[in-house]
Amino acid sequence: MSKILGIDLGTTNSAMAVVEAGEGKIIENKEGNRTTPSVVSVSKSGERLVGVIAKRQAITNPQNTIFSVKRLIGRNFNDEEVKKDKSLLPYEIKERQDGGVEVKIGDKWYSAQEVSAMILAKLKQDAEEKLGEKITDAIITCPAYFDDSQRKATKVAGEIAGLNVLRVINEPTAAALAYGLNKKKDQQIVVYDFGGGTFDISVLEVNEDTVEVKGTGGDTHLGGDDFDQKIMQWVVGEFKKEQGVDLSKDTLALQRIKEASEKAKIELSTSMETEINLPFITSSDTGPKHLLLKITRAQLENMVGDYIEKSMELIRKTLKEVKLEPKDIEEIVLVGGQTRMPKIQEEIKKLFSKEPNREINPDEVVAIGAAIQGGVLRGDVKDVLLLDVTPLSLGIETMGGVSTALITKNTTVPTSKSQVFSTAADNQPSVEIHILQGERSMAQDNKTLGRFILDGIPAAPRGVPQVEVSFDIDANGILNVSAKDKATGKSQSIKIEGSSGLTKDEIEKMKKDAEAHADQDTKKKELIEVKNMAENLVYTSDKTLKESGDKISEEKKKELEEKIEDLKKVKNDDNIDVIKQKTEELSKLAQEIGGELYKQARAQEQSKKEEKPAQGGSSSDEKDKKEPEEGEYKEKNN
Amino acid sequence: MIQEDKIKKEKKEEKIDKVKETRECEKARDEYLSGWQREKADFINYKKEESKRARELIDFLKVQWVLELLKIVDNFDRAIKHKPDGAESLNWAKGVEMIDTQLKDFLKAEGVEEIKAMGASFNPEIHEAIEEKESTGESGKIAEVLEKGYTLNGKLIRPSKVKVNK
Repeated sequence: MSKILGIDLGTTNSAMAVVEAGEGKIIENKEGNRTTPSVVSVSKSGERLVGVIAKRQAITNPQNTIFSVKRLIGRNFNDEEVKKDKSLLPYEIKERQDGGVEVKIGDKWYSAQEVSAMILAKLKQDAEEKLGEKITDAIITCPAYFDDSQRKATKVAGEIAGLNVLRVINEPTAAALAYGLNKKKDQQIVVYDFGGGTFDISVLEVNEDTVEVKGTGGDTHLGGDDFDQKIMQWVVGEFKKEQGVDLSKDTLALQRIKEASEKAKIELSTSMETEINLPFITSSDTGPKHLLLKITRAQLENMVGDYIEKSMELIRKTLKEVKLEPKDIEEIVLVGGQTRMPKIQEEIKKLFSKEPNREINPDEVVAIGAAIQGGVLRGDVKDVLLLDVTPLSLGIETMGGVSTALITKNTTVPTSKSQVFSTAADNQPSVEIHILQGERSMAQDNKTLGRFILDGIPAAPRGVPQVEVSFDIDANGILNVSAKDKATGKSQSIKIEGSSGLTKDEIEKMKKDAEAHADQDTKKKELIEVKNMAENLVYTSDKTLKESGDKISEEKKKELEEKIEDLKKVKNDDNIDVIKQKTEELSKLAQEIGGELYKQARAQEQSKKEEKPAQGGSSSDEKDKKEPEEGEYKEKNN
Repeated sequence: MIQEDKIKKEKKEEKIDKVKETRECEKARDEYLSGWQREKADFINYKKEESKRARELIDFLKVQWVLELLKIVDNFDRAIKHKPDGAESLNWAKGVEMIDTQLKDFLKAEGVEEIKAMGASFNPEIHEAIEEKESTGESGKIAEVLEKGYTLNGKLIRPSKVKVNK
């Protein structure tokens, strides 16, 4: 059965995805990119170009390169929007017989849906090539404010491209689907879509698998590109101030500044400041000039503050229109690359007093949601196969009170994991399995799920017995922990019900605590590890003293005893640096002594070999004569 | 008599129900087994494709890395283009050019080739038009290369940014 293609047909860029192993996955186009510019052209030689190739030749062919056709699809020529856009588009448009919009490419006139169909056809072809199978069915997304005529035109565009369009779904709905929010009951969701060229706000209501659009708002000419423009203007302005040269007419300089501005904007999402470094930006009578400017996150936020505030105003306005308040909204979904900006996420968190959903790539979330819708229609997403994850790590307490995880958090279940552990003391007859849930490094900070003891372990030095501990979680969330002594085969186990763990709120708190204490916990764990190492070293050094003490010189023996004593004194304190130092000293000495003992042992072996022939006594010479020496040839019948 | 018939009828219905139940169970069992086998097969196939995916990731990362390096190469090109008069004799300038050569040789050894665009016919597959130029030259031919384009092992990684004769 062929896959259903989920398509995000955007104004500036489009993306496509399919469901693979129950998850939405973006398909790259022929050029190897995850998004395809929504641009169509006919070259001077009459060849049709779609995507990035069409974009590259736009400057040489402006009248025959069609972009942003989404602004025209399904609309009447006399619509306000069309009149406004007409002035901004370098290509010719005219009214169709049925009142719709036609665009001229070359010497032919095409309807807006025919142009969109060209984009969809390329996506279809590239997907078929990538997946190695034919694609017939598709789900295409459209803005929530599209009317019937625009939705129908979108569907027709798909059909012209050779696709069987199962559904045309709203972009915000697709985004909500990608996050699984369609499973919620009675919830209000706001989708904040800040893309490259447009800003859209949608208020959705989800109830038992139906998603209803309650209201929409936005600005069709506000996007991330406007942010780039602001930075560009600032850069040109600063350069003029500093160096007295106006770069605004220099095409190549502007091109480099545009790229650098976008790069700086992106970097400032993760750094507090960045540099725009453009050597040889231009040349003048006095020689070449360089552009080097520092820009901070605060400066950027200042530059674009008005835009961000405008978007917040539009949220408030849209909510008011549907008679809702920010506190009534249960979930917020972020769509569009510009939402990666920390300031925007901050403002949204402030307005709604909760964290927005942003884990899925905001440039891809709509296409992924469309693919998931296809998966749901096909029945790919069976409830019984919807698998859960363990929200927190599960493990046991090990030497030093450390929490050692066997199943890490976010592992999909059902699953099993095993690890072999050993004893901490000589002749230890039993091990206690203390089962823990949580992210903290120390056992005492995590939640105890259960304990049990495995006894009957045969006497042996510490570290020798092999106890295999297994964790098994079934699809119902029931955890079975067992411990087995590999030598005797004896085992013990315990069953822990899914409900005896932490509640959802406790889980969230635990995660936050772990983050807050991450540094502290790491230090604690390191201290324990250093202590354990010191402990082991003292043990092995003592053993060496006992077993090989007579083989070591008195001087070295005394030194070894001293160093062991030194380490014994400090290993139970908490001064990690001192323990490390004393461990290092003892370790060095132990290695030296070990090396000497080894040399001694080898020398003894050698001398034992040499002694043997000497015992032969007087007949040795004769013997020597009888035995052929290496390299000497003796006749057999000698 | 009627009682006997009634009991017979009930027993028959019970039997029919049990058979129906068994059929449904068998159907579910077959469905689950088939699903399990398919999932296992998908997983095995996924593992087989892992090594292919790993290679693709390595290639992708290499491209990203080379693209960043090319921006530095661009600046070296600009520096050399703006060599001041009389710098030919400066030993220092020679040293800088040697570094540039070293950089270009390294890229070549890694399979990175420069696209020779100057004077060629504009081709959007490998060129990006930044500006059109009023010129007496042949229309559609590249008049100036503003930023060099490159291929990696024959595949385009960055188109040449060019000025095209109108």
